[in-house]
This record gives sequence, structure tokens and C-alpha cells, in this order.
Amino acid sequence: MISVGILANPASARDVRRLIAHASTVTVAERCSMIQRALIGLARMGVDRVLIMRDHGGIAQGLELAQKNRRKDQPLQWPKLEYLEMEVGGEATDTLNAVTMMCEQECRVIIVLGGDGTHRLVAHACGEIPLACISTGTNNVFPKFIESTVAGMAAGALAVKKVQQELVCLRNKRLMLEINGKAQIPALVDICVTSEDWIGTRAVWRPKDLRELYLSFAEPGAIGLSSIGSLVLPRARELDEGLEIMMEPSSTNGIKVEAPIAPGLITEINVDSCRPLRLGEPKSIRIPKGTLALDGEKEIEFNAEDQVKITLDPLGPWSINVDKIMGMLAKNI
Amino acid sequence: MLDLNRERLLQAYETMKTIREFEERVHIEFATGEIPGFVHLYAGEEASGTGVCMHLDDRDSIASTHRGHGHCIAKGVEVKGMMAEIYGKDTGTCRGKGGSMHIADLDKGMMGANGIVGGGPPLICGAALAKKTLKTGGIAIAFVGDGGSNQGTTFESLNLATIWNLPCIFVVENNGYAESTSSKWSVSLSGNATDRAAGFGMPGVEVDGHDFFAVYEAAGEAIERARNGGGPTLLECKLNRYYGHFEGDAQTYRPQDEVKNIRETKDCLELFRKKVTSDGIVDVSDLNAIDQKVMKLIEESVVEAKAAPNPAEQELLTDVYVSY
Amino acid sequence: MARRATFQKAINEALEQEMERDSSVIIMGEDVAGGTYTEGDSDAWGGPLGVTQGLYTKFGDRVMDTPISESAFIGAAIGAATCGLRPVAELMFIDFMGVCFDQIFNQAAKFRYMFGGKAETPVVIRTMIGAGFRAAAQHSQGLYPIFTHIPGLKVAVPSNPYDAKGLLIQSIRDNDPVIFCEHKMLYDMEGDLPEEPFSIPFGEANFIREGDDVTIVAIGRMVQMASEAGDALAQDGIQCEIVDPRTTSPLDEDSILESVEKTGRLVIVDESGPRCGMAADIASLVATQAFDDLKAPIQTVTPPHTPVPFNDFLEDLYIPDTERVVKAVRNIVKGN
Repeated sequence: MISVGILANPASARDVRRLIAHASTVTVAERCSMIQRALIGLARMGVDRVLIMRDHGGIAQGLELAQKNRRKDQPLQWPKLEYLEMEVGGEATDTLNAVTMMCEQECRVIIVLGGDGTHRLVAHACGEIPLACISTGTNNVFPKFIESTVAGMAAGALAVKKVQQELVCLRNKRLMLEINGKAQIPALVDICVTSEDWIGTRAVWRPKDLRELYLSFAEPGAIGLSSIGSLVLPRARELDEGLEIMMEPSSTNGIKVEAPIAPGLITEINVDSCRPLRLGEPKSIRIPKGTLALDGEKEIEFNAEDQVKITLDPLGPWSINVDKIMGMLAKNI
Repeated sequence: MLDLNRERLLQAYETMKTIREFEERVHIEFATGEIPGFVHLYAGEEASGTGVCMHLDDRDSIASTHRGHGHCIAKGVEVKGMMAEIYGKDTGTCRGKGGSMHIADLDKGMMGANGIVGGGPPLICGAALAKKTLKTGGIAIAFVGDGGSNQGTTFESLNLATIWNLPCIFVVENNGYAESTSSKWSVSLSGNATDRAAGFGMPGVEVDGHDFFAVYEAAGEAIERARNGGGPTLLECKLNRYYGHFEGDAQTYRPQDEVKNIRETKDCLELFRKKVTSDGIVDVSDLNAIDQKVMKLIEESVVEAKAAPNPAEQELLTDVYVSY
Repeated sequence: MARRATFQKAINEALEQEMERDSSVIIMGEDVAGGTYTEGDSDAWGGPLGVTQGLYTKFGDRVMDTPISESAFIGAAIGAATCGLRPVAELMFIDFMGVCFDQIFNQAAKFRYMFGGKAETPVVIRTMIGAGFRAAAQHSQGLYPIFTHIPGLKVAVPSNPYDAKGLLIQSIRDNDPVIFCEHKMLYDMEGDLPEEPFSIPFGEANFIREGDDVTIVAIGRMVQMASEAGDALAQDGIQCEIVDPRTTSPLDEDSILESVEKTGRLVIVDESGPRCGMAADIASLVATQAFDDLKAPIQTVTPPHTPVPFNDFLEDLYIPDTERVVKAVRNIVKGN
């Protein structure tokens, strides 16, 4: 039996960026729709079983309703949908537990619908299982906006081995974080050191508070904090390097960039220094007190007594290249 | 959130603690049978009302729900008057003629707790219209529950506030239960009110209602947007209530240890305490001093309320109209 | 000769003069201006029957069109009234009260009492009442008794242009919530109308006609029926005293009781229905407080306890007419 997991975060695209910037809203209804499209793609490729978490955010409920309330004259084109047997508390640990179970139950691919934060959590638990990364929301860098039907087809094609993993997947980098010797869940895109005292609503948007930025990659065309890097020294995902950026709002040296750090929010950032960040070289952060934002979400408050170390690492998650897979399916007549 | 200095943090704690101890005491006193009518307790939800109302001043108005004690205290309504009102006494905020569900103090911009679910949002549209027309710089905030978010009045108000670009905010305090019914069922799409804002072209933001800082920051942005003519916002605070819909509710619809777990892991006062004392900005002794001050205030309120007189007989007929 | 104008003009003028005098008076309602955000004319309607036309042109943003959301905008008018404005909201047809009644009877009406005397809610809700327009069951009712039943509300039901202007000006200046009922069949009625602003106090009945033989209490459009009946009966030597309460809340009970004390006979003609309507209310008042003055049973002339029919013949049967008033009087008074 060929199994694929789907991990969809019901809670993203509802934060304060809808208020202080022009971030889009991706309603729970839309997420359900995206999943249904992916299910159709998976089924068509011959995937038998799909595992999904019974979330409390409306997605599982929406899928159950879609099954129940569908038109009687149209057969359901899904693989067998199974809800994971686990406690769901509405916390980040749900994602970790769900993905762990998907791996244990031999899912060959995991389709992720969410932002950078969701992908970060999935990546921490998925081991070698490749991810099909679908962005929900406008503030994301790691996953892209890809149409879910096609993503389902591509993920399905990989799951049933119509294509070879080595040819269609990328091993992503990640940023390891240690606080006082204790490892935290790694970030996939960026770790930002801000001078703010409080985590608050988690979003990062005030340029005057940004001090240090560590990027695993900085692609041109990205939105969010990594755009600061991509406007100074672009670093592709595939490259063996990231970036280390120091910012000091009050200094007059350095380079000024106009960076789109959030949808609809372009601000001037003073980049004091921007250096390549090499794999395996730990960096200690400089400012004594503030908060750390991982993949765009403030998560950890630290002070002078805390030792914070960041290291770029090559063993992040595998992600599938949808375009490449679909290209390989072409008949080429 | 640069304005959260020591003084403000202590103020936040005092407000939340006052609400908590007020409600816990009403819970105890109600069980003795001395308090008439219905009470609906806000215990557990303090961070939401406090995080929002700390940004407000006398120019601003709020309208609340039947679960209104917390909003009253957060908006600065006098605590002793409130307790006397709950006892129905002449010294009460409303001269004993409103009771728990109708405590109001218009001088402080508190347009009333409301016995009608969804009664607040239209009134707040009006308050916001008045402030916009009279150019006072004030804003208006409607608190509704997950249940109230389903009332037609709420939808109409979301629409009206958007098309008239009113300086107001709709705060949905989603505690998961509309009386005894799960909001995961009754609010379409698993109890999320935030997504509905998008349908009106209004920004919708969700925060953890147990986290004072998250509420404070998001509310601050929404309030600033409203004050500057940017229009309305929907802010959903996901939180929990410790007690039943009303006092006397056996809460058999809740899983056995739910409240116990919430009190242990998500107590907004404990979370706040831990955070502010770990940084050294505020000392444990500061907070303990506030605890004592609050307990004394609550004790005095109850003693004075019990001793206060009932309204005089002729008060039955007064204040039906302004003119007679 | 005194200046003559229509009931419709009286209302428009009252609004205009009060809005000139007091900048906190605003108007809101569906199509009260009309044409908002369309590519055609603004001030396109001035209300469904043109009563508020011209006000948008003169006062701009103080005349606000609303979406069809009675709960929201009637509630907003009420909320704004507690916060320093003096809104005049239009509930287009009193028949629509069902979609906003809570805001009126549980909120506006009760604020002052529930909040211990600290609230003032100077809101006016203007609304159309009455049958005769062939508008059928859901657009023809006279539901003012329901508002009259609610303590905290004041209710005005003018019968002529003069009273319409004076009572509307009083309503706007009054600090309590007022339901101002405009009978749609009276808009074209002409009458004496002073040009300057003036107000008529609430709770003061108007004696249309004086007489010793029978008291006819008539409300709203029924004042016309009563007047015509009075003329017809006078030919037979029956002198009717016609009392127009003008406001049903507060009700000028003293005038009614004094009149019955004098005449000993009472006919009540009212277009609101027979069950729990104004006729029942006034009959009860007189029966309990002036029983000893009555020389004959109280007569009530009301529509039947039915919805308003659409067919014009049936609707005309529904509405009490002059003949029925005459008949009611003759039931209890002998002519020459």
C-alpha cells in the first residue's frame, strides 16, 4: 500500500501582518479546497492511502463535511483518507507528533501546506522523507505558491516511483540553534536577532529593532527578511553557503537597501556588514538582550546570561521539485 | 511595545489580578445564595480585556457581553460600585437597577454589559460614528463571544463598519463554548471567527488570548489603525473560561479535567508573572504587594456591598425617561 | 391666510430646521438620500416617498444612506445617541421592526433605567405606518401599540401637518428615544403650517372638536374619519367631542378621562388591531378609572384581527371608515 502524508496548518495566515501590512488571508475553507485538489492529484497517480491529522482548526472538519455533503452524482476521487490516532492540543507539538507518525506509518512523501514556520516543524520530524512544499499565505520563502492539484500529482508520481528521488529532490540547508548548549528546533530560512523585549504577536516588522540576520539562503525575488540578503549578496538554495548580516539602524556606514520585509511593507534597512555564512561554522550572537525570530516568528527571549550559537547545516529536509517531476512525465513524442 | 515599562507592566498585572480575584470572590459569594439573578464569570480571560483596554482612555467606548465584569474593570469602572451592583444595592454603579448583566458607566466609556447576545456591535458602530463625526479622536470596541459572532447583528455591524470606515474594533473572545455548545461546531469552519473578516474586506487577526503581550501588541496596532482613520479590525482572542456559562452551570459538556489543565498550563496571570519576573524589570515582591492590595479591595467591596441599603421603594418608578 | 403645506413638507421642514439649529442632528436610513455610490444622481430618492429629499444636497454627510441592515444602523443610531449625536434614523416601514426590535426595546428603551439614571439616548426613529396604499400585509401595519407597551420609549402618531412638524421638532429635542410614526396616506394631506420652528409637548391631546354628547378618541389617520363622522352626526344634533391624543406614549390620560366625565360616552377609533391595541388600552383606562361616568358601553372601531389584505376592495373593508364611526356613535347616542 502506498501512503502519503498531508500536513496542513490551520493556524497560519492569521497573524498581525494582516493588519500592519497587506498580508493575504488564506481562509480555512481555501486550505480545505487545496487539500482536496492535492488528494485528487495523488489518487490519479495511484496513491492508496493518505494520512492526515485531525486538527482543531477546521481542516479535518472541512474535509469530513466535503465527503459527507458532496454531490451524489459525482464519485469521490480521493485515496483512502485516514486520520492519525493522536491527541491534538493545538500546539506546535501536534505537527511534530503527526509527522513522526507519518514516517512510522511509511509515508513516502509528505505534502505540507503552510508557511515557513510550519515547514520548519515538519522538517524537524520528517527525517529522510521528502516534502512537497505548498505555501499558504504571502509571507513565505521556503515553500512556493504551487497549484495543489499539480503538487499532488507530482508527490504522487514520486510516491509510486514513477520518478527517481535523486533526480527530482533537493537537500535543503538549515540553521541550527543552540541556547546554553541545548539544541532548539532548527530554522529553514532565517534566524533574526531583534532588540525587542517581548515576543508579543510573534511577527517581525519593525526595522529599528532588527540587529542580526542569519540566512540559509537568499534568493532574488523572495519576500520577508531574507530579501535583505538577496538585495545585497544573493545566495541560491543549492549553494553551500548562507549569509550573516549585521544591521545597525543608527549607523551611517554600511549599505542601505529597500527590502520588502513583509507583503506591502518595504522599508529601508541599514546593512552594516554582509558576509557568507559557511557550513559548520558556529556563530555567537553579539547583542546581549533581545528576542530571536525563527523563520519569521519571534520565539525566544534571551538576555546577557544566555549563550546563543547559530550554525549553518547541510542536512535539512528533502524537498521535491514539482516542475521537474512533471517535466519527466512528459511523453516527449 | 516600547511603552511596556515597569509601571505599565504593574498596571497590567493589577488589572488582571483585580478581575481574577473579583470573579473568584463572586463565585464564592454567589454560592451562598445572597446574590440575586444571573452572573457570568470572566475568570481565565483576563489577558484579553486587559491587553485591549490598556490602550484606551476616556475618549474611547467599549460595549461588552453578559460576561462583562472583566471589561468593566479593565475600562476603569469602580470596583466597589460593581460589587454593590451585583448585590443589587443602591450604592451600585447602576443604583441596583441593572445588575451583573447591565453594569455600565457611560462617563468612563463603558456602554454596558449586555444581556442580549450580539447586542453590542451595532451600538459600537454608533459610538464610533459619533466619535468620527464629532472628531474626538476616540474609538469604540465591541467585545463579543464565539456565540455572539454568529448573531446577525455582528455580521451587519462588520459590514457597516467597513463601508462607513468606522474607527472601531470587534474583539471576538472565543472560549470554545457558546453556552453549552461547542463553537467548533456552531461557528462554521471549526470555530474560527477570524476568517470571516476577510469576507468583509476587513483585516482579521488571531492571537492567543492567554498571552497578555500578544493581545496587547495586536490590539495596539488595531487601535492605532482605527485612530488614524484606517478603519475597523477583527481581533480574535482564543482563550478559556474557568467557570460555566453562568454560575450554577454544571458544565457537563466539558471534559473532566479540562478546567484543571487550563488552570495549570494556561493561566494568563501565571504566564505573565513568570515572564516579567524572569527579566528583572519587575520583582516578585512588587507583584505580591499588588496581590495584597487587590485582595483587600475585593474584601472591602464585598463587606460594603452586603452592608449597603437596597434602593428606596420609589426608585422602582424613577429613571424610565429623562423628562420624568 | 395661514400658509398651507403638506404633511410631507412638514416633516421635511422640521428635519431641515432642526439640522440647521443643531449640528449634532444627523439622519440615517435606507435611501434617505438615495443614489450613494451610484453613477447617477445623489439625493436620488430622499426616502421611498421623497420625504427627506433635498436634505442631502443641503447637509451632505449628515444625511447617510445605509445598507439594508436595520439591526446595525438602528443600533448605530442608538449607540451614537449615547455618545453625543442626535440621530434621526429612518425605519422605512414599521413592519420592519422585527429585524431591529432588540436594539429598540431592549437597548435604547432600557439604558436609562438599567444604568441607574446615567444614560441619555436622544434618538428618533421615524417610521411609516398604515394601510390604504395597497402595499399588502407586510407594509401596511400600525404597530405603534407594541412600542407603546415598552417603558422607556415615547411614541408620536401625528394626524396632520401642524402636529407632524411640532411633534417631530419636539422628538428631536427630546432626550428620550422616540418612535415617530408617519401615516403613509397622510403625506399628501394639506394643512396650516407655520414657517418658523415650533414644538408640541408630548402627552398633550388635541381637541379637534368640542361637544357634550360623546367622546371620540381617534388616532392618526382615523382623526379624519372621526372628523367626518362628527360633521355628519352634527346634522342629527349629536355633538361629538373629538380627542386626538397625538402621542400614545406618554398618553394624555387626563384629557380623555375629563372628556368622558363630561360626555359619559366613548367611541375609540384606531387603525392598530383589536387585540392589545390602542383601543383596548384606552378602553381599559376609561373602564377602570371612569366607570361611574359611563352611561353606555365603550365602543371600539378597529380593523379586524387579520393581516392587511392586498385586494383594494378588501383593504377598504379592513380600514375603519367614517360610516363605521357614525354607526358606533349611534349605538350609544340617540339623535334627533
